[in-house]
Amino acid sequence: MEELTLDKSSDEDRILRIWTPILLRTILIAASIILLTGLFLMLTSAPGFYVERYHAAQQANFVEREPFITMIWMAAHGYPHALLTVGLFVLTLVPLARVAFCFLLFIKKSDYAYVGFTAYVLVGLIVGVLLGRIG
Amino acid sequence: MLEILGGLLALAFGAGMVGALSGLGGGVFIVPALMIVAHMPMAVAVGASLVSVVATSAGASVAFVRDGWTNLKLAMVLECATVTGAVAGAVLAGLIPAVVLEILFALMMLQSAFFSVRKQDDELIAHGDSIARRLDLVGEVPDQTGKPVHYEIVNLISGSSLMVVAGLMSGMLGIGSGALKVMAMDYFMHVPLKVSSATSNFMIGVTAGAGALVFLARGDVSTAVAAPVALGVTIGALVGSRILPNANVRILRMIFVVILVLIAIEMGWRALNGI
Repeated sequence: MEELTLDKSSDEDRILRIWTPILLRTILIAASIILLTGLFLMLTSAPGFYVERYHAAQQANFVEREPFITMIWMAAHGYPHALLTVGLFVLTLVPLARVAFCFLLFIKKSDYAYVGFTAYVLVGLIVGVLLGRIG
Repeated sequence: MLEILGGLLALAFGAGMVGALSGLGGGVFIVPALMIVAHMPMAVAVGASLVSVVATSAGASVAFVRDGWTNLKLAMVLECATVTGAVAGAVLAGLIPAVVLEILFALMMLQSAFFSVRKQDDELIAHGDSIARRLDLVGEVPDQTGKPVHYEIVNLISGSSLMVVAGLMSGMLGIGSGALKVMAMDYFMHVPLKVSSATSNFMIGVTAGAGALVFLARGDVSTAVAAPVALGVTIGALVGSRILPNANVRILRMIFVVILVLIAIEMGWRALNGI
């Protein structure tokens, strides 16, 4: 019985050590490309808008709370500000994607204690978004 | 725009590099840098810092996970505590007066400075407590001869309690709270120091991510600031981690401790004088 547990555990560990770095690196590169594209387009097409936003941040006089679907649509059409917003969201999705991957792996391996831990973290991250929207 | 962008990138690059060289991460340096040099309010600095901490954690974790230094299962258990603290901290950050946050930040910098100078010896435990064993929280580290040594974990509950505090500080102050996390694992749970550092680095992504999601959803992240800061800190951290193996770590740590104490004094002074 104990041997079986150890085998399952080492197999999980092996999969996590192979796939976690790939997942982290891929999303990090994707987010960096989106952010660089956004900054480049901002620099070439709307530098005044950027300066205005920067000074608004210094005065704490801004709220960037446009609906995410709108932002994705605008990013797809090359709006630099939307690209920056989407890039930052993709960046914060790195840990979310990693935890979701672990959650699915633990379900597959029937390791229910860790299904519980990862589910708790996922719910915590989602609750964070909801509290941010309300607050 | 080019001057502003270049200035932010340079500032973030420097903070990321110093964060990697000191082993304390970028957050503890980027928040005061944005406040003191770029004249940003604390809320803006914290929002930008949280996003960039996610990026540096992801970048730095890759090698540690691949090489087996990160205790992945321990990270997943402790992340329950840090996420709880981080979400609560990020929500509280919108309610607590800035002066209180600035004083807390100064205190956290002093804690990081203390952590950097204290004596660090591994006290490995061969038999962990029952809850840690049931959760398979064990591992191996090489000793000085390269021979693998088995370790187990104790005091999971008290370590987790400190992780809630680390998460709370992260969400409120925009830092990774790496120094507090490593202390909790090293002091309370007897996790080997290098495993503690690698595991803390891995967990920082989720902790800061939880705080960053609250800030982003609330509309408190300025994209004009956070985007170049995230890029600059990430590149700076990569460069810093490349320089680190050839650097005199002991002298560097001492220099950074002095810098940390000076910034803590400056932050405390600004808070008390309402600047």
